[in-house]
Amino acid sequence: MTRLIKVELLKLSTLRGSYGMLAVSAALTALFASLEASRAGTAGGGVAPLYTASGLSAVTTVTGWSMLFAAVLGVTIAAGEFRHATATLTYLASPNRGRVLIAKTAAGTVAGAVFGMVSALIAAGTGLAFTAAHGYHAALGAGTLAGDAAGAVLGAALFGAIGVAAGSLIRSQLAGVIGIFVWGLVIESLIGGLFTAVRPYLPYTAATTLAGIKLGGAAFGPAHDLAGVAGPLPFAAAAALVAAIAVTLAALAARTTVTRDIT
Amino acid sequence: MTPSPRSCAPAIELAGLTKRFGDVVAVDDLSFSVPRGTVTGFLGANGAGKTTTLRMLLALVTPTGGNAKILGQPYRELSDPLRRVGAVLEASSFYPGRTARNHLRVCAMAGGLDPKRVDTVLEIVGLTRAADRRVDDFSLGMRQRLGLATALLCDPEVLILDEPANGLDPEGARWLRRLLRGLAADGHTVLVSSHLLAEVAQSADSVLIMDHGRLIAQAALDELISAGQRVQVRSPRAAQLAAALQDQGANVRLLDADRLEVTGATGEQIGTLAAGRSIPIFEIAAQAPDLEDVFLRLTTSTQQDNQDMEVPA
Repeated sequence: MTRLIKVELLKLSTLRGSYGMLAVSAALTALFASLEASRAGTAGGGVAPLYTASGLSAVTTVTGWSMLFAAVLGVTIAAGEFRHATATLTYLASPNRGRVLIAKTAAGTVAGAVFGMVSALIAAGTGLAFTAAHGYHAALGAGTLAGDAAGAVLGAALFGAIGVAAGSLIRSQLAGVIGIFVWGLVIESLIGGLFTAVRPYLPYTAATTLAGIKLGGAAFGPAHDLAGVAGPLPFAAAAALVAAIAVTLAALAARTTVTRDIT
Repeated sequence: MTPSPRSCAPAIELAGLTKRFGDVVAVDDLSFSVPRGTVTGFLGANGAGKTTTLRMLLALVTPTGGNAKILGQPYRELSDPLRRVGAVLEASSFYPGRTARNHLRVCAMAGGLDPKRVDTVLEIVGLTRAADRRVDDFSLGMRQRLGLATALLCDPEVLILDEPANGLDPEGARWLRRLLRGLAADGHTVLVSSHLLAEVAQSADSVLIMDHGRLIAQAALDELISAGQRVQVRSPRAAQLAAALQDQGANVRLLDADRLEVTGATGEQIGTLAAGRSIPIFEIAAQAPDLEDVFLRLTTSTQQDNQDMEVPA
């Protein structure tokens, strides 16, 4: 199994697309963190001043993009094999397809963790840089920043696994990539806005709350900053929920599409 | 390579292998074996079921019935399968953005090999200078060579190649023939599917011919060709000779008053028979068919049989 995981990681490291996705994720994180920092403390900006813990946290936790891009990378790890007909070689090397799925999920998790880590460093760096530029003292301690970063790493890692499972299930890279963005940016915003009670249980929302993002903070449209009756899930519950979704999707794929003929 | 000691057991065995896709029977009760250390051509028209058969052999497609074994075991149960079996099934099983060298590095790691082997196989297939180019810059022929490099990477005992000559230029085709013969001489077993009959005729020891999902012939190449040999005979007593040959089980066609075309008997047999009956022969000429003739005759007769068996609604 270790060899299989190493093979999957080598596959990722020898494709420019992997670095491209990481770069886009990092760039979007830097852009949105800078926008949040610029809005902080301005009238009608909706973000508390940077000298407050709430204001600084709004910037240092802009790590949601890393989770979406980790999922997209996960989709390409799995569905890309069918797009480029490389599944044949993969299954010739390891005819046990369940082991291949586990190895791919592990690789997606590791890659997702890297996405989360890079994003957390950029968001924290941006927040602290803007804070210092304004001459403020950082209102968040190192422990809080580290905790949020660890949550971002965990959230992105789990979303990497979800991406692999979803890609294995649908086997279409394009549909998978579109599906990830539509789900994260549109569907969850709509459901979260309409049904505030279920909002904490939505996978992308739950993953973002792991990183210290306030409930709905990573959503777009009307759901962004929407006050709701429900609070975020506790860290462990949110992590368990997202992990359970990844495992369920992977199990479903293992029972259905993964065993299909490679024609 | 370090092939296992030559054994009597066949390298590849299929027994009653069947695959249905809905109502379509792609492979129908297929049984054959491939001896070790030989090059076996696997022939059939497009849609004959060759690729489906190879994919079932390699556990990529699940059979509806029957079983397939390589080196005595189903592919799925082989330990370290890349070291036992190398396969080329598609000319483009590569991420286009990956370089040839990196593609082979991935495969080498999957096979638990020393990455140095990558340079060796790149040299074998003549891609050393293109090793660091992305595969999407490769021609079809270069992709075929990279596919062969992938199959040869772990120096496997058995090679299964699906249309490996597609896209190769004449020089590449000659290189492939020599490679296959060299592999067989080293004790490897090669099963190579192709619709390029001339290509197979020059490199295979024996052939399997499939048509409509069924095996219609399996024989050594020489046997198959000699079985389809036609002999033209000119004799003033052609009708009498024809009757005598038919009595011996040969197929005879009267071309004109003094000329016959005979199949199922050699020139020597015809001459001996004629001498025994004091029938003069003015001319006798054997016409050896090529593999293409045999293939077309076999597949045409199968199609005719199928049509004959169809019951009108």
